Amino acid sequence: MQPRTRFGRCIVYGLLLGLSGLFLLPLLWLVSTSLKPIEQTMSLPPTWLPRVYYATIGDQRREVTLDHQLPDGRWQVIERSPTKMRTHALAQAIVPASAIEVRVKPRWENYRIALATMGGRSIEEAEGTVAARQTGYGRDTAVSFGTFLRNTLIVCLLGIVGAVLSNAIIAYGFAKIPWRGREAVFAVTLATMMIPFPVLMVPLYGVFKSLGWIGTLKPLWVPAFFGGAFNIFLMRQFFRTIPEELSEAARIDGCNEWQIFWRIILPLSKPVLAVVALFHFLWAWNDFLGPLLFLTRKHTFTLALALQNYQSQAGGVQWHHLMAASLVVILPIIVLFFLAQKTFIRGIATTGLRACFKSLNLS
Amino acid sequence: MTTREKRHLRNGLLFCAPWFIGLGLFTAYPVVASLFYSFCDYSVLQSPVWSGTENYRRMAGDTLFWLSLKNTIIYALLSLPAGMIVALSLALLLNTEVRGMPVFRTIFYLPSIVPMVASAMLWLWIFNGQFGLLNWALLPILDLFGLKPPGWLGDPTWAKPALALMSLWGVGNSMVIHLAGLQNVPKELYEAAEIDGAGTWRRFWHVTLPMISPVLYFNLIMGIIGSLQVFATVFVMTGGADGAPARSTLFYALYLFSVSFYDLRMGYGCAMAWVLFILIVALTVVATKLTEKRVHYAT
Amino acid sequence: MIRRCLLLVLLLAGCRPPSDGRVHITYWEKWTGAEGAAMQEVVDQFNRSQDRIVVEYLATSAVDRKTLVATAGGDPPDVAGLWAVNVYSFADRQALTPLDDFIRAEGDTPEQWLGRYYPVFADMCHHRGTVWALPSTPATTALHWNKRLFREAGLDPDRPPRTLAELDEFAEKLTKRDPQTGQIVQLGFLPQEPGWWSWAFPAWFGGRYWDGTNITAATEPANLAAYQWVERYTRRFGLEPIRTFTSGFGNFASARNPFMSGKIAMVLQGVWMDNFINQFQPGLEYGVAPWPQILPDQANFTVADCDLLAIPRGAKHPQEAWAFIKFVSSINPHAQREEELLGMELLCYRQKKISPLRQWSPFFEQHHPHRHIALFRQLAESPHAIHIPKIGIWLEYRRELDSVFENARLMLKPNDDALAFCQRRITESWQWHQRSLERRAP
Repeated sequence: MQPRTRFGRCIVYGLLLGLSGLFLLPLLWLVSTSLKPIEQTMSLPPTWLPRVYYATIGDQRREVTLDHQLPDGRWQVIERSPTKMRTHALAQAIVPASAIEVRVKPRWENYRIALATMGGRSIEEAEGTVAARQTGYGRDTAVSFGTFLRNTLIVCLLGIVGAVLSNAIIAYGFAKIPWRGREAVFAVTLATMMIPFPVLMVPLYGVFKSLGWIGTLKPLWVPAFFGGAFNIFLMRQFFRTIPEELSEAARIDGCNEWQIFWRIILPLSKPVLAVVALFHFLWAWNDFLGPLLFLTRKHTFTLALALQNYQSQAGGVQWHHLMAASLVVILPIIVLFFLAQKTFIRGIATTGLRACFKSLNLS
Repeated sequence: MTTREKRHLRNGLLFCAPWFIGLGLFTAYPVVASLFYSFCDYSVLQSPVWSGTENYRRMAGDTLFWLSLKNTIIYALLSLPAGMIVALSLALLLNTEVRGMPVFRTIFYLPSIVPMVASAMLWLWIFNGQFGLLNWALLPILDLFGLKPPGWLGDPTWAKPALALMSLWGVGNSMVIHLAGLQNVPKELYEAAEIDGAGTWRRFWHVTLPMISPVLYFNLIMGIIGSLQVFATVFVMTGGADGAPARSTLFYALYLFSVSFYDLRMGYGCAMAWVLFILIVALTVVATKLTEKRVHYAT
Repeated sequence: MIRRCLLLVLLLAGCRPPSDGRVHITYWEKWTGAEGAAMQEVVDQFNRSQDRIVVEYLATSAVDRKTLVATAGGDPPDVAGLWAVNVYSFADRQALTPLDDFIRAEGDTPEQWLGRYYPVFADMCHHRGTVWALPSTPATTALHWNKRLFREAGLDPDRPPRTLAELDEFAEKLTKRDPQTGQIVQLGFLPQEPGWWSWAFPAWFGGRYWDGTNITAATEPANLAAYQWVERYTRRFGLEPIRTFTSGFGNFASARNPFMSGKIAMVLQGVWMDNFINQFQPGLEYGVAPWPQILPDQANFTVADCDLLAIPRGAKHPQEAWAFIKFVSSINPHAQREEELLGMELLCYRQKKISPLRQWSPFFEQHHPHRHIALFRQLAESPHAIHIPKIGIWLEYRRELDSVFENARLMLKPNDDALAFCQRRITESWQWHQRSLERRAP
């Protein structure tokens, strides 16, 4: 449907531009906050660009923060010094607005500090204002960002291997092998998609506890090796579009089912495999409830859980660090999206659409 | 059964074996077990002891249970219609063959794949009553009417609308599904309608909507199921399972989690889970019945 | 390529840190900052004093929840630093390891062991016949008053209010309003600041929460009297003025703390307050006194609380955990210098709190950094010191009482209605809980 008139097109463009601006605004604000020093995150009115202020106090030109503005337009400025922040010996002065030098300065160190303190190290240690002494001992006291990343990658990558392999095998069984009772079992499979996770949550927890897996990463990736209803459905749909003649020809040549699957069907299925891999990665990277339930020690946390823990761990919320850490967790997904855009869109649109029709026809 | 059929059966079962194990271990067993636990006194530290319908009777008299149900339903009523309207509107806009459509689509879609935790953090910051971006933007507008911007997550009346507003940011996913549905509508129908003299609105109402009704129905069902189980965003934005402020954001899944893992009353949690299950099935059936006549499937 | 990546990932998954031949036990505790550093010193002292065990101290937010979840999952810490309120509900849920056998192995009966503590703290350690935890740092609470504000209001800065009537009277005199806007700029006293023992007001008035068998929230007239007193404050100063005034309060641990910044003249606070005042408002002139007396035979009333160390059920190294807890519970009774302080006294010295043990070493007694430690010690010995009721559903009960308190200070419903609601809910909850306990009785 295309608007006929030029006026109509202008409206559409205007709306699209306006709405996309609104949608982008939060992300821009995220980046903006992550580059500011803490006092500028709490300035009213909110500013977009991180700034640095210099003024002369005494005889020295120092970096200052603007405390408040006096009625006559002059500013009360306070010296800004990370090392002296905790004592009362900060120099202050009242200077006219013109005497303050302003520059835009993004604080890239916020990222370094955020990642360093995410695992429990104190800000002072990360900033270097306090000598790093061994406060505490053991694997959980100062977990590095790399550990969180490693844990998340383990879960995601092993999960992808499991999801792609197991679902392909299972879907082949449902799609290409005509066995008695197949449709009934498949209907049951689809029905399980309706079961909400809370119903399974408690007994599943009990199962993992008796296996001794609570506190490890295993509950997060091992189940992927046993298939998932939605992926089975997706792959089955795809396999059914592969002409039966190919399998028949291979059977005549003497291949058994596994060889047909591995050598013929699977290589032809790269698109759907890519979709399953991509969406499993996305889901595993973003998963929060799973890690919350099954992980107890900080050195096993994934990024999502570590981020939430970061928020509740510091004394007061350090917004600029929190936003920096959030961006680091978001960035890989955005990068992945731009690298695999077509797969993404194809994945949701076509398969999602077919899913609607098919699942509704079955119910 | 012929030999061929037997061979097919064996192969089929072999190939589907991982699923049978998975189904049994991770789905069938938990479903049955949780039904059993819902009639027991169970904390995973001690073995379950049969307690009959005690959990269900307790639920009936538990004000927090009813509160969490009410909160969840209010949230669903706020976020679902708004979400569907926004998703559909965006899809309609994108469907107009404007230049740069992929760029716009990307911008609308990206927020829906952002990790929930990170986006909850971000919106927590945006909704901040003192320094938040939203209130600062609203201040001049509301000032004209002599109103003050609400405290959002700090105000019990505004916490749920805040969460609903935040959920609108993530409509990208359903938008793409709507878009695909719109693009599947045959152009001939529009041309035919135009020839008949139908204006834009009537074309929309009589051609577009019926043709995408399966998609709408799908998104409605998914939306109901999803909004009744909201957990991660609420957990992060209220700093734990308390439903602050004043329990206004104590949603069903949150209360279930809190009861199961913080009070260790897992039998009760299982009972709540089953009530949720029945509720979802019931709502799905109702939604299907109500829209049966209006959903047209093109064969 | 894929296979190589897989191998790498599996390799990384199996990484383990090197071992040093000693048993490493994990200790989850709530303290950060200066208080955390104090405990870390004791941990270091323990680690140095022997070469069998290494304690790994971890400051954890929501330590009680995390401990319970970890215990449920079968992977708990070996030692957990809990609040008193957690111990009874955890014990009822079989989430803790009883300490009786460990005590007996030391050659003492539990009564003898607990006899070393002040009765109010000893009483908190056992529940339904078993010892579940031992004290780490105790606290008693007292009335703190701002001497400068007293002087400005024309009151004797060294004479605190001694009765409830005097408290109300002084509060009136110490309240100042801005002459132009009518807004409150200083309040004499506010029951909701800090609001951490609003649950205790009924006990202060002579009421009871539980008579050993039944819940008595709504059946004790003294309980109602307490909430009516709370409501009177809102009536006197006005709901909106108070709300506006309190919205400008800063965090507890900052220079903008309402008491420390002179916004509230009198506050009921704990033994830790001196520490925080020294950190954020060193020049503050203040005094401490027992809670104003309400009942004629209830002098030296105070709310006592305690942080406790417990061993979760299923801990991998319970023996070593006990060794550490025993160390923390011990002192050097002849310590004459700071370097000679050991265990409990080192911890309480650094955190500037009283020691829960009856016996204090000479150095601890005479050189304690807290200016008013003698009063807090006196209050710990007082027969009218109370602690939380030892019922497994106390957390829920306290939440309901907090709700009644909110209701009273915001004047939402009549107080007896609120108490009746609380009574109903908690009685029901108590019955469920009893039934659950009976079902599992061995």
